[in-house]
Amino acid sequence: MPIETSLTALLGVKHPILSAPMDTIAGARLAAAVSAAGGFGILGGGYGDKAWLERETAKAAAASVPFGIGFITWSLAKKPELLDIALDAKPRAIMLSFGDPKLFAPRIKSAGALLFCQVQTEDMARAALDAGADILIAQGTEAGGHGASRTTIDIVPAIVDLAAGRVPVVAAGGIADGRGLAAMMMLGASGVLLGTRFYASQECDGTEEAKKLICDASSGATARGVVFDLSRNNVWPAPFTVRSLINGHLRRWTGHEVELLQSMTAVAAEYAAAREARNFDIAAVFAGDAVSLIHDIPPAAEIVERIVSEADQVLLGRRNSSAALRA
Amino acid sequence: MWPDRRIIELFKTEFPIVLAPMAGVMDAELVIAAAQGGALGSLPCAMITAEKAREQINIVRQRVTAPINLNFFCHTPVAADPAREAGWKKHLEGYHAELGLDPGAPVSAANRAPFDAAMCAAVEELKPEVVSFHFGLPDQALLKRVKAAGCLVMGSATIVREAVWLEESGADIIIAQGAEAGGHRGMFLTENIAEQPGTFALVPQVVDAVKVPVIAAGGIADGRGIAAAFALGAAGVQIGTAYLRCPESKVIAPARVALAQAGDDSTVITNVMTGRPARGVANRVMREVGPISAHAPAFPHAATALGPLKVAAEKLGKVDFTNLWAGQAVRMGREMPAAELTRALAAAALARMSALGR
Repeated sequence: MPIETSLTALLGVKHPILSAPMDTIAGARLAAAVSAAGGFGILGGGYGDKAWLERETAKAAAASVPFGIGFITWSLAKKPELLDIALDAKPRAIMLSFGDPKLFAPRIKSAGALLFCQVQTEDMARAALDAGADILIAQGTEAGGHGASRTTIDIVPAIVDLAAGRVPVVAAGGIADGRGLAAMMMLGASGVLLGTRFYASQECDGTEEAKKLICDASSGATARGVVFDLSRNNVWPAPFTVRSLINGHLRRWTGHEVELLQSMTAVAAEYAAAREARNFDIAAVFAGDAVSLIHDIPPAAEIVERIVSEADQVLLGRRNSSAALRA
Repeated sequence: MWPDRRIIELFKTEFPIVLAPMAGVMDAELVIAAAQGGALGSLPCAMITAEKAREQINIVRQRVTAPINLNFFCHTPVAADPAREAGWKKHLEGYHAELGLDPGAPVSAANRAPFDAAMCAAVEELKPEVVSFHFGLPDQALLKRVKAAGCLVMGSATIVREAVWLEESGADIIIAQGAEAGGHRGMFLTENIAEQPGTFALVPQVVDAVKVPVIAAGGIADGRGIAAAFALGAAGVQIGTAYLRCPESKVIAPARVALAQAGDDSTVITNVMTGRPARGVANRVMREVGPISAHAPAFPHAATALGPLKVAAEKLGKVDFTNLWAGQAVRMGREMPAAELTRALAAAALARMSALGR
């Protein structure tokens, strides 16, 4: 039974489940698979790599399913021409995160695309609504990759109250199963956006090693900080930090960030080499607090199906421990 | 209709809502009011004597027939380290001068004692329906006596590993305390705050890891939050911060103002007030000395030197040194009688679940 919300109505999709625009690992294969399964897939335009964007938007457009394209707003501001490439592919939506969306909103809306804005505070939500956001994505600190400090259970109802029914609010951060979808609907969200859960899917372009590390990670295996951004010589504006699996490199530098800044050139070289070699004791796997709920690498369609049927069970009022669900 | 009735059946309360024990800011009055509204009232016993606990329970028993929860700390006591305490006092001496206090004056030691044989005897005599513990569980001999007295035992977990330990050690119910929660972090197998997830991530992980019912705590202060906790697999919720501004609490007037004015980013986790990490609205000493200070003596000895400062500042209507323990949902606290608040919370949660149910 489909779960219909204001989000599914606005997007014209079957299920209120969005896949996150994970920088270059959420390619057309993943976005198309999520959309074909009734959710809504978003390409990870990230910092903005022209060749990647041209290739993946062409593939996504050829798949004949609705899709979105996500960008890191402050990075897109350095290469605004990439937005034209994105809009030429006729996406249903452009998702902007981390920065003021005002600069790009008119261009996006005049091209007929919906504007999704991911926000971490009420002030950001107000700016997004002023810019004409069609959907707000309220992201809690549990999320993998970049984000801020407030938790999902705190920020989601706050943004729902602020939106006051004007636009649908989508919840992000720490969600990996149907219980999470149902819980977010209870908090007033109209849908969910999942990153880490779709990272561990067959269609995600992340490495097999990283996917396996996500499956093996247990509770408390992730942390948020600036070590990996500094190690990539990639300084982000405040208040954004990045959540990743805890590895040897993070343990080495957490609490020693000033020292890291001082030896950044050497560390950045070592880090780049480790990334190339897929040495994930140094290179980061960006992942959220939901890792401990993720134990396998199924096709994306199966993930969508599981979440919908589990949420359906919870909303039916069945007892919702996983033991009961397995029974 | 509650989707999970295990907690209601175990406690025999009307609602699967636990009024959190909040040591220092409440007594029997709030327990009675919450119980009259249909919640399980918790009496914090960590800062009172066995004699005082007896008196308080008798007051509750005379006024309501509802079940009651007695809450205790079970930290391993650390003897006060005179050198460290002297250093801490020195660290705070500017405040003494400002308030005209003699930093050399004798102070009474902070009074947070772990659960012991005397308290256990009181429990055996008073037979509360539920006993909850913070910072782990007491030793097995004491725990056996508590269970033999017919009490249900609850323990708090901040990480999955603690929840598994609590279940294996005999807890009947696990409170999953997310990072949003106010007051002391219940942690006992980890000292790493960064390792402790928020309520939303913690609850389903704990539900998957244990067989006993799980109560969600932290950041829950309205019907939506309660409904969300149940969707995540919780069988109940523990709520504290939402009750702080009820007329039946013992929160002093200037602290009520500070709570009412708190914003979404007003709370921090600090070790300044007691030596153990706890979440509260940031006051002056937390901001200026902490929120985390390497100088703070071990729990509860950091509170000793702050005692006279707290008393003197409160006389001036200031909460510069007062523990303003509160969770991240502090803005959702309401000035409403506790019984009415309890019924409103339950009604809102049930309405939410039935509106979205199918």
